[in-house]
Amino acid sequence: MPYHTFKCSECIPERKKHAVVKGEDEDLTSCLPLGYLKTIPGTISERGCAFCGAKHVIGTPMKDVIHLCHGPVGCTYDTWQTKRYISDNDNFQFKYTFASDMKEKHIVFGAENLLKQNIIEAFKAFPEIKRMTIYQTCASALIGDDIDAVAKEVMDTMPDVDIFVCNSPGFAGPSQSGGHHLINIAWINQKVGTFEPKITSDYVINYVGEYNIQGDQEVMVDYFKRMGIQVLSTFTGNGSYDELRGMHLAQLNVLECARSAEYICNELRKRYGTPRLDIDGFGFKPLSESLLKVGLFFGLEKEAQAIIDEETARWKPELDWYARRLKGVKVCLWPGGSKLWHWAHVIHEEMGVDVVSLYTKFGHQGDMEKGIARCEAGALAIDDPNELEGIEAMKKLKPDVIFTGVRPGEVAKKLRVQYINAHAYHNGPYKGFEGWVRFARDIYNAVYSPIHQLSGLDISKNEIDTDKGFMTRQMISDVKIDKEAAIVSGERQYTGDYDCVSKLRDKKYPKIEKQSLSIE
Amino acid sequence: MSCELNEKDRAGVINPIFTCQPAGAQYASIGIEDCIGIVHGGQGCVMFVRLLFAQHFKDNFLVASSSLHEDAAVFGAAHRVEEAVDVLLMRYPDVKVIPIISTCSTEIIGEDVDGVIRKLNEGLLKEKYADREVHLISIKTPSFKGSMVTGYDVAVKDFVTAFAEKDDSNGKINLITGWVNPGDVTALKHLLSEMNVDATVLFEIESFDSPLMPKGDAVSEGSTTIEDLKGTANAMGTIALNRYEGGEAALYLEKKFGVPAVIGPTPIGIRNTDAFLENIRKMSGKPIPYSLVRERGVAIDALTDLVHMFFADKKVAIYGNPDLVIGLAEFCLDLEMKPVLLLLGDENPNYLKDPRIKELQEKVEYDMQIIRNADLWDLESRVKNKEVELDLIMGHSKGRFISIDYDIPMLRVGFPVYDRAGYYRHPVVGYAGAIWLAEEMANVLFTDMEYKKNKEWILNVW
Repeated sequence: MPYHTFKCSECIPERKKHAVVKGEDEDLTSCLPLGYLKTIPGTISERGCAFCGAKHVIGTPMKDVIHLCHGPVGCTYDTWQTKRYISDNDNFQFKYTFASDMKEKHIVFGAENLLKQNIIEAFKAFPEIKRMTIYQTCASALIGDDIDAVAKEVMDTMPDVDIFVCNSPGFAGPSQSGGHHLINIAWINQKVGTFEPKITSDYVINYVGEYNIQGDQEVMVDYFKRMGIQVLSTFTGNGSYDELRGMHLAQLNVLECARSAEYICNELRKRYGTPRLDIDGFGFKPLSESLLKVGLFFGLEKEAQAIIDEETARWKPELDWYARRLKGVKVCLWPGGSKLWHWAHVIHEEMGVDVVSLYTKFGHQGDMEKGIARCEAGALAIDDPNELEGIEAMKKLKPDVIFTGVRPGEVAKKLRVQYINAHAYHNGPYKGFEGWVRFARDIYNAVYSPIHQLSGLDISKNEIDTDKGFMTRQMISDVKIDKEAAIVSGERQYTGDYDCVSKLRDKKYPKIEKQSLSIE
Repeated sequence: MSCELNEKDRAGVINPIFTCQPAGAQYASIGIEDCIGIVHGGQGCVMFVRLLFAQHFKDNFLVASSSLHEDAAVFGAAHRVEEAVDVLLMRYPDVKVIPIISTCSTEIIGEDVDGVIRKLNEGLLKEKYADREVHLISIKTPSFKGSMVTGYDVAVKDFVTAFAEKDDSNGKINLITGWVNPGDVTALKHLLSEMNVDATVLFEIESFDSPLMPKGDAVSEGSTTIEDLKGTANAMGTIALNRYEGGEAALYLEKKFGVPAVIGPTPIGIRNTDAFLENIRKMSGKPIPYSLVRERGVAIDALTDLVHMFFADKKVAIYGNPDLVIGLAEFCLDLEMKPVLLLLGDENPNYLKDPRIKELQEKVEYDMQIIRNADLWDLESRVKNKEVELDLIMGHSKGRFISIDYDIPMLRVGFPVYDRAGYYRHPVVGYAGAIWLAEEMANVLFTDMEYKKNKEWILNVW
């Protein structure tokens, strides 16, 4: 597994060990890219800061909370309305954002009074919201404001409110990952064990490391509820502040994104003895195995299997329709963190696409280890890619599509490479059985876009067809498939609704009798 | 009946209208050819601003970071800038201009960027890049001062100051556009070309609207050159369209090189476009051609079809960049509308003496409020508490949920607009901008009438 040197990075020797090509039959002991090291200044890395890792990734998906940043206005503005973590309370958490709006005089004389005023004002503006998270920023960290003391002072005078303080300034670590860690630990230190939500089932879990992107959490919670499991809290997508204060009461922590939230699971195990079970909501097989694992823990295998059978029967013919047409499509798997390993193998196994490259912006070596172990031989793995390396990789590998964020997606567009939003999704959710079909559908729509095909035509040089008024996606995709086999198979295109999440909010579930209640 | 100029009565911000200064400096920097800025601070200060640009333009723009981590926050970070400059120059052989844009963190720890630049000029640039033209420019934009608007103003002035160089007169006009879209630059250049006036446009950002080419080799970047910037000292005059976005640079050129400056008006609407052309005529001595009389007539014709029937007395709230807000308010008045609430997102003390605001205060015959240092809660809470009734909102996308939740039609305008397709392509300035604005306002109102079934039948015959 040789290190890969990018031509554009030959002049920065520190980059030498940040990219590898996975060889045939090689294991990870031969080499693994370096990871989670300080960013080289001026490389135009894609990394964000520890503040955004704490606030933007983990903090703000909490839905019934005033999210207040203590600092100048930019940190608040810039991390507002750039993601799709929805909630079932009309998206309060991304409609409203709060900044203490620190100015020069506060830098000189301190901003604790300003912060206090802000807290009171914010609760006054939204009297129905009684919970708040305050995020430290570079500025408030550097001037040394004691946010904890201010929060305590306010809580002492306003007994019905509760405030969580997250001290994770932008400079705290090489990337957003530092902020994930800090907010995990801050939450368990300050808040877990301070509230006791009602236990309504014999089977109680925390669903951890799940951010409800386009409704992922709601899809997964639907499965858990159908199994008779109470999801006591979700850390943090669509999650409620008080429920998360009761995390200590669950019997099991079901962990989705280990990159951003394994810290709190490990602490819960240490402090409360709650076991951690890593699951994966992406892909039919990993999801089925995950539901079975959770079922096995509680003795609910039958219930899990019933869901798997029902959902597979409903959606597998639709997944297969796309898989037949996506076979051999070349993919750069360039997300932020855990999707690197959640998707690395299963998109190949279930959709037939070939992962030609994977990267992580803020992941650690452990993430790369899992991703490389799972992806195909020949894939180029890059840690903390920068702009030029990404371009060089795309030119060399000529992928059909990359899975990445909005801005790198625009870089790809210019190179005539299609892109799917790996962070916020195109038309998600992508978790769940139906979600996985939606993902396959989005990839298919991108790869076989008639406009994409037109984009390669140079009308000044190439001959122009004069007898074609249109092309459909299928006219492009079906050239290479066995059409008869496709007809016989009973496969079909996606038949779900544009919005497959909202209807889950009104769904009724069979009432579960809590057996242990009588014993208590 | 009065027009009050107040300040937000809360200490904090709920849903900000502006982001902070470094974002404005970054927006200016991407307008220059072969220029990659280095933002000296945490990585988020760049990553999110680039995302904002990508959200607005659906394209990618280059800005680098010095990637401040905690050791640098404690021990100083000059070496991060030195390394960033070197890495950038090694890997981007065309780069000539590197603004070093400060942030809150590096201003608080007291980074001596000027000192670093001196050191680099004497050392690295001489030793390693002797054959390259490289300009390092310090732009001080602490995030706790001003806003993205002042950050843009500071950066334009710093770029002009760094390059403007006295030489023979170039017979051109400097046109400092302010924070506008590619569509605005196209409209302004069209007016200049009709006037047969040669101008240096700061900044040439038409190229932000870049193609997807068969070879896959197009990029989005500004095309103002170093020569353009140098030549600003030798123009026959400067017109800065926006007082708060480039006005300082115009004053600098006047003071330092005797280049006469005309500041404003923002040529939004017919009247202000007329004034803009008058300023060009005076400065260049060239007559306004008949072609523009006709073009103006086409706009007036379009507006005449709309004003009395649909716009009269419609109550409007406008928020965003100050010159845009004031220009739009003035245009709305000409359109017989009533701008009742204007929200300016920072506390710039110059608003208090802005002649346009004074004029509004003196002349408006109905109740109007102008709020300084405003946030979007100043708008939403008034709507929520029924202190103000609105027929239309004009502002950028960050306020979209006010329109959605309170069922008030909204025309997206300003920066950023990410929830409507292709708005950066359309002008709000010039006669073309007047047409586009008025017709979009009308179409937004029409869609709302149909959606709410509010006299939608009126459009049967029109």
